[in-house]
Amino acid sequence: MFEIEMLFAFALFALGAYGVGSGRDFLRIFFSLEMLLNAIILMLALSARHLGLTENVQLAYLIIVLATLEAAAGLLIFGATNRITKAIRPDDLNRKEEAA
Amino acid sequence: MTELLLLTAVLALAAGSLFVKKTVPAMISFALMMFLLGIFYITQEAKILGLFQIFIYTGGIVVLMLFGITIIGIEFPEVPKRPWTAAVAFGLFVGMSGLFLMGRGGLKPVTDAVTEAPRLFAGGFADTVLLFALIGASLLYGTVRMIDVLKSRPKARDPKEADHV
Repeated sequence: MFEIEMLFAFALFALGAYGVGSGRDFLRIFFSLEMLLNAIILMLALSARHLGLTENVQLAYLIIVLATLEAAAGLLIFGATNRITKAIRPDDLNRKEEAA
Repeated sequence: MTELLLLTAVLALAAGSLFVKKTVPAMISFALMMFLLGIFYITQEAKILGLFQIFIYTGGIVVLMLFGITIIGIEFPEVPKRPWTAAVAFGLFVGMSGLFLMGRGGLKPVTDAVTEAPRLFAGGFADTVLLFALIGASLLYGTVRMIDVLKSRPKARDPKEADHV
């Protein structure tokens, strides 16, 4: 059971990596980043449950707090960038720089 | 069995949040994914972690992402496909799974493990509180700056400067 659950966590991580790499808009990149972090938290929780590594749960709390901070800071940067350049994808930012 | 069903639903909802074209259903799918992960942690005897995930993490992220939806609109923009990304992600999954399955012989599963120690933060409580307070203060600062950004208007270009160009 532990192995299968870990495979699910790896699949979630791979899905997040796909979302980050596929060059979509900022919002889906944030979704994907959260998926990556959720996969890590899932791995930590599973290792605490099945391997007795209870200190991993403490690390999971820290990751949750940092993930929320990352989302807040990222959306702040997105909001500010969008206000100036109207870009909603990272690739658009490159094109606008080239045009300028 | 319940755990596997929950994890299957989590994966399906995660995929849904990436591939649905409308922003609001994608957001709902994402929030449900995080909610089900919280339920999964509760089934794994990590009750506080599960409740933390549901009420604080999911709640905070959903509010933040709603801000993103107000900028993007009701539909995600069309993007050119990058087929190599799927291949890389699949390779990542196979690699991680292979490494884990090869090394699992060295792991020692515990049958009666406690997921969450009752006195989890008792050891370094002061350090943890300080760190969380620092992160909370950063969040608050970010929010205030965000309000500043939203309040300010983009500067209009000076007509004299435009003439020179």
